[in-house]
Amino acid sequence: MKKEKLSEVIITYVVLILVSFVFFFPVLWLVLASFSASGSIYDFDGFFPKSYSVATYVKLFSDTAMYDYPSWLRNTLFVATFSCVISTVLVILTAYTMSRFRFKMRKPLMKTTLVLSMFPSFMGMTAVYLIMINFNMINNLWSLILIYSAGAPMGYLVQKGYFDTISNSIYEAARIDGASNPTIFWRITLPLSKPILVYTALTSFAWPWSDFILPNMLLKNRDLWTVAVGLTHLGETEFSRFAAGAIFIAVPIVILYFSLSRFLVAGVSDGAVKQ
Amino acid sequence: MKSSKIKTKCSYIIMGLGQFLYGQRIKGLLYMAILALYLWYLFTAGISDMAGFFTLGTVEGDPWLGIKGDDSIIMMLRGILSFMIFIAVIIFYLSNLKDIKNTEKLVEQGRPVPGFYRSLISFVDRKFYVVALFLPVVGVAIFNVLPIIFMILIAFTNYGGDIIPPKLVDWIGLGNFKQILSLSGIKDTFVKILGWNITWAVCATALNYFGGLFLALLLNKNCVKGKTFWRAFPIIAYAVPGFITLLGFKFMFSYGGPINYYIKMFGGNSIGFLDIDAGWMARIIGLLVNAWISIPTSMLLATGILSNMNKELYEAASLDGAGRWKMFTKLTLPFVVFSTTPTLITSFVGNFNNFGVFYFLRGGMYLDDYFLASDTDLLINWLYNLSIDNNYYGIGAAVSLIIFIITSVISLTAYVNSSAFKKEDTFR
Amino acid sequence: MKYMKKAISLVLASSMVVSMAACGKSTDKTSGDATNGDVITLRILENDTAKQEGYLDELINAFNEAYKGKGIQAVDANMDEYSNLAENGPYGYGPDVLYQANDKLMTYAEDKHILALNKDDFECAAYTPDEAWDAFTISVDGSQYTCAVPVNVQEPMLFYRKDMLPEDWELSWDNNGNQTPDFFEDFSFLYRYSKQIYDESNGQKFGLVAPCNDLYMMAEFIFSYGGYVFGKDENGLYNAEDIGFNKGEAAKGMLALRQFAGVMSEECIDDSIGQNRYSKVADGTYFCSISTPDTYVLFHDRLVDVYKSEGLGDEEADQKATENLGMIELPRSMPGDGILSGESPVVDTVVMGGVNGYGISAYTEHKEACIEFVNFATSHEMIKKRSEILGIAPTRSDVAQEMGGTTEMIFESLNAGHIYLMPSIKAVDQIWDPMRTLLSDVAKDAFREKNGEAIKYLDDATMQDALDNASNSIYDAIFTLSN
Repeated sequence: MKKEKLSEVIITYVVLILVSFVFFFPVLWLVLASFSASGSIYDFDGFFPKSYSVATYVKLFSDTAMYDYPSWLRNTLFVATFSCVISTVLVILTAYTMSRFRFKMRKPLMKTTLVLSMFPSFMGMTAVYLIMINFNMINNLWSLILIYSAGAPMGYLVQKGYFDTISNSIYEAARIDGASNPTIFWRITLPLSKPILVYTALTSFAWPWSDFILPNMLLKNRDLWTVAVGLTHLGETEFSRFAAGAIFIAVPIVILYFSLSRFLVAGVSDGAVKQ
Repeated sequence: MKSSKIKTKCSYIIMGLGQFLYGQRIKGLLYMAILALYLWYLFTAGISDMAGFFTLGTVEGDPWLGIKGDDSIIMMLRGILSFMIFIAVIIFYLSNLKDIKNTEKLVEQGRPVPGFYRSLISFVDRKFYVVALFLPVVGVAIFNVLPIIFMILIAFTNYGGDIIPPKLVDWIGLGNFKQILSLSGIKDTFVKILGWNITWAVCATALNYFGGLFLALLLNKNCVKGKTFWRAFPIIAYAVPGFITLLGFKFMFSYGGPINYYIKMFGGNSIGFLDIDAGWMARIIGLLVNAWISIPTSMLLATGILSNMNKELYEAASLDGAGRWKMFTKLTLPFVVFSTTPTLITSFVGNFNNFGVFYFLRGGMYLDDYFLASDTDLLINWLYNLSIDNNYYGIGAAVSLIIFIITSVISLTAYVNSSAFKKEDTFR
Repeated sequence: MKYMKKAISLVLASSMVVSMAACGKSTDKTSGDATNGDVITLRILENDTAKQEGYLDELINAFNEAYKGKGIQAVDANMDEYSNLAENGPYGYGPDVLYQANDKLMTYAEDKHILALNKDDFECAAYTPDEAWDAFTISVDGSQYTCAVPVNVQEPMLFYRKDMLPEDWELSWDNNGNQTPDFFEDFSFLYRYSKQIYDESNGQKFGLVAPCNDLYMMAEFIFSYGGYVFGKDENGLYNAEDIGFNKGEAAKGMLALRQFAGVMSEECIDDSIGQNRYSKVADGTYFCSISTPDTYVLFHDRLVDVYKSEGLGDEEADQKATENLGMIELPRSMPGDGILSGESPVVDTVVMGGVNGYGISAYTEHKEACIEFVNFATSHEMIKKRSEILGIAPTRSDVAQEMGGTTEMIFESLNAGHIYLMPSIKAVDQIWDPMRTLLSDVAKDAFREKNGEAIKYLDDATMQDALDNASNSIYDAIFTLSN
C-alpha cells in the first residue's frame, strides 16, 4: 500500500489523541476518584479531588467485615474464567457449524435464535430463578457459570460472520487429505480463528464482570457475591471505594487484552497461506 | 414375515429393543435406558407436573396456619419442563425409528451391522453438526427457551398485583390483552414510546457501528505506530463494567457534578442535563454515553474482521490506480458490511432492548403524558416499570409479547433479506 | 450410528430427571437452620448500619452468651439488608428474624410471609406506645394482628453546624425569647435566614438545602397542610383508593416548597444533594440540611475530616465535631397560607416517619426461639446499647427517657402526632416514584423562574392540578392494571 502523506499522518495522530482522550478521560476520573481522601464524589473541585490518599485501596482489601472485596474478586474471577472457557468453546463450535455445514434444520435454527434474542431478558428472570431453585443451585457459583455458558451460543452470529469469510477450499483440501470433521475443527478451524477467538474470549470474560442482575438474584450470601453485586450494595458515601473496586475489575480485562492482542490481528488469510 | 421385520417392529413398541435384537447391544441398551428413565420420571413426577400445568394448583397455602399449599408459578414451570422432556423423548423415539430402519436395510442387503465404537466414530464425522450443536441447543432450550415460554404463558394468567404466591394464579385467556386495549393511556404511551424506541435503536446502532468501524480503520492505517498501545484506550473504557460507567456519567451530568461545577465557575447557570425538562438533551446524552460504552466492542470486532481481508485485492486495486475512497466503498465496505450484517441485527436488537442506559441515567421518573413512564424510557424500561416496579407480571408479559412480535417481525424480515443470510458464500 | 449423541444425551437426560425428582425434596428445605446437634441456629438479618457500627456483633454475642445453655444460637444472616423475604423465604433461603421499616415488614405481613405475634409475649410491650404498635398491625378477615415488634422511630432531622449560627442570634433571631433560634422553630424564619445567607454571599452560600426530590424528607410540605398518604375507612384501616397527596391544602404547602427551593442550590433538584449534604454542611457551604438520624455518623465523619484538614489531631477533631454538630427536629410550625415570606398564622408541622422493628419469618422452624431472640433484642439493655451505638430513637419509653435530649423529643413527637407514620400496606411501594417526579419538578420550577424560563406552578390552581396528576399516577400504578 502507498505511504500516507505527512499532513495525513499528522491529522491521523491528532484524531487518535482526541479519541483516546475521550475514552480515557472518564476512566482517569474514576482513578482519581479512587484516590480521593474524603470518599465522596461531591467533595471534588470539578473533576479533581480536594486531597489524595491511598487509604481507599487499603480499606478495600483490609476492611472486609461489611464489604468482603477480596472474596468478591475471587468469586468473580472463578465465574469469569470458567464461563469464558466454556462459552468460547460453545460459541465457536456453534458458529463454525452453522457457517460450514448445510443441513435441514440450519435456517430454521438461525431464524429461531434471532427471534429468541429479541426477548427482553429480565422478563424471563423469574423463570431462571425458579429453575435454579428447582435444581437446588441457589448460592452456588456454578449456577452462574451454567447460565452464562448456556446462553452464550445465542450470540454466535458475530463469529459466524467471521467464518463465512474463510475460504471453503482450505477445508476441502483437508477433506481430500482424509481429515475427519472433528480433526478439521481442532487442527484447521481453531488456529485460523485466532482473532475471533480473542474477541469471543474477551467479551465472554468481561460479561460476568459487569453483570449484576443474575448474581444478585442467585447469590444470597454476602461472601458469595461477585464484585458487580457487591459494588452496587456499597453505602452512598463510599464513592471512592466504589471507584477503586471498579478499577480493580478493569485490570484483569486489560491484562487479558494485552496478552491476547497479538492474536487479534493475526490475519486469517496470512495464516492460511503460510500453512 | 421376516424375522428382521419383527425386530424392527419391536423398536416401535419399546425403543431400542430392535437394535438390541439385531446385535447392537450397547446402542439398544442405551435407548432402553432412556425409555426406562423417562417412565420412572413420568410416574414419580411427570404426570403430576403435567396435570399441575393445567390446574396451576388447587390448595392455597397459608404460612400462618402452616399450610404448605401449591405454588402456581413453580407448577407452571415444572409443567413446561415436563412437556419439554416429553418432546425430547419423542425426538429420541423418532431417531430410534430412523436408526432401526437403517439397520434393517443393512441386514436385508446382507451387510454386517457395525459395532458401537465404529459407528460412533463415523457418526461424529458424518453428523458433526449434530454433535457440535447438541450441548448448545440443550443449554439454550433450558435457559433461554424455557423462560421465554414461561413468560409468554404468564401473559395469559392473572399473575401479579395482589395475586402472587402463596395465592393461587389462574389462567384467564386473553384477559390481559383486552385490558391493555381498553385503556387509552396505555395505547398512547405505547405508540409514543415505540416511536422513540425505534429512533433510538436506529441511531444508536448506526453510531456504534460506524464509530467502531472508523476507529478500526484509523488504527489500521500504516502510519500508526504502536497500534496495541492506541487500541488499549478503548479497551480500558470497555473493561470498566457498564453500570459503573453509567453511574459515573450520571454523577458527571448531575447538578452537583463536575460539568455544572465548571459551568458555574465561569458564571453560567447550572444545566439540568438529565432532569425532568431535559427531553432531547437527555436522549442525546444517552446516545453518546451508549456509544462510549459500545464502540470499543464494535472496534474490536471490526479489527478482527478487517484482519481477515485479502490484502492482495488491495494491492491489485491500487495497481489499477483506484483511489482510497473508491477502495473503501468498493472493497472494504462491502466486505465489512457482509460479514457484520448479522452483528448489525444483533446490535440493533440489543439497542432496542437496551435497559441499562436510561434506567441508570434517568430512572424512576413518571411524566405527565405517559402512563408510568418518562420521555426517555424505552419499551423495556416501561415494561420494567409495569412488571417489576409495580408488580403487574401478567400485563407486563402481555406487553412484552406484543413488543416481541413487532420486533421479531422487523428483524426477521431484515435478516432474511440480508445478503449475509441469502448469499452466505459471497466471500469464499 | 448415533451413539455419540445418545451417550451424551443419556447423561444429560438422566441428570435432568434426577434433579427434577430431587427438586421435590429441595423445596421442603428448612429455613436456613443447620441443626448441628441439638443447637438451634437462628439467622438474623439486621441493617447495614447496625452491622457496620458493630452493634450486630454485640447483640449476637450477648444473646449467644445468655442462651448458651438453652441450645439456641444466633448468627448473622449474611444477606443484603433489603433482600426480599417473599422471594427467598418459601424456598428456605430467608432469615429467621429480620429488622426492617414498618412499610417493608407489613408488605410481607399482607402475604403472611412474617408471623402474627402475640404482643404479651414481649417484655417491651408495657413500655411501648400504641402508636408504634399500630404501625405493625394489620387486619385479616376482620381480625387485627400484630406482626412485628417495634424498636425505633425514624423521622427526618435537621443537621447543622453550631458555630455557623449568627453571632447575635439571641438578639435578632429569638423574638419569643425562649433561647432557641426562631429559624429552628418556624419554617418561615428558616426561609428568611436562608435568604439572608444567600443574598449576603451572592449565591455562594446557602441556609437550608434539603433533598427536594425525596418524599420522605419533604412530606412535611404536604402533611402539615392536610394532605396524607392513604385515608382510613370506618374501621380505621387504610384504604389505598383514597390517595391524599392532593387533599386539604397540600397545594399551598407545595408552593411553600417551591419558594424555599428558590434560596437553595440547584443540587436540591436531583440526587446530588442526597450525597453531598454531609460534606457541604461540614465545610459550611450549607448552614443546614435534612436527613434521617441514622446518618448522624456521616455528617460527623465529614466534619472530622474538615477539622483534620485544618490541622487538628484525630482525637481533637473528633471531639470538636461532636461538640459542633447539631441534630434537631424540623421546625415545629409552617405558614398557614404557604407563603414563607408572609406573616400568616402558623400550622403545626407534621413529618413523615417510620417505625423499625423485628419480624419473624413465617418459614422459620423455630418460632419459639425466634420470640426469645426478639425479646432479648428488645430488652432494656439491648435497646439502650442500640441507641448509644447507632443514635436511634427507641420506642421504649424507659430508654427514651434515660437517653433524654433529641431521643426523647422524637419519642414525644410520635406520641403527640407530629409524625405521620408510613401506612403499613403494600400500596405504599407505589407512591415514591410519582411523588419524586412531582417534587423535583416543583423544586426545578423555582430555578426556571430564576433562569427566565417558562414557569409551571404560579398559583394554587396549577399546583393543585399537578398534585391531582401525581395522585392519579399513583392510583394507576396501584389499581388500573390490577385484575
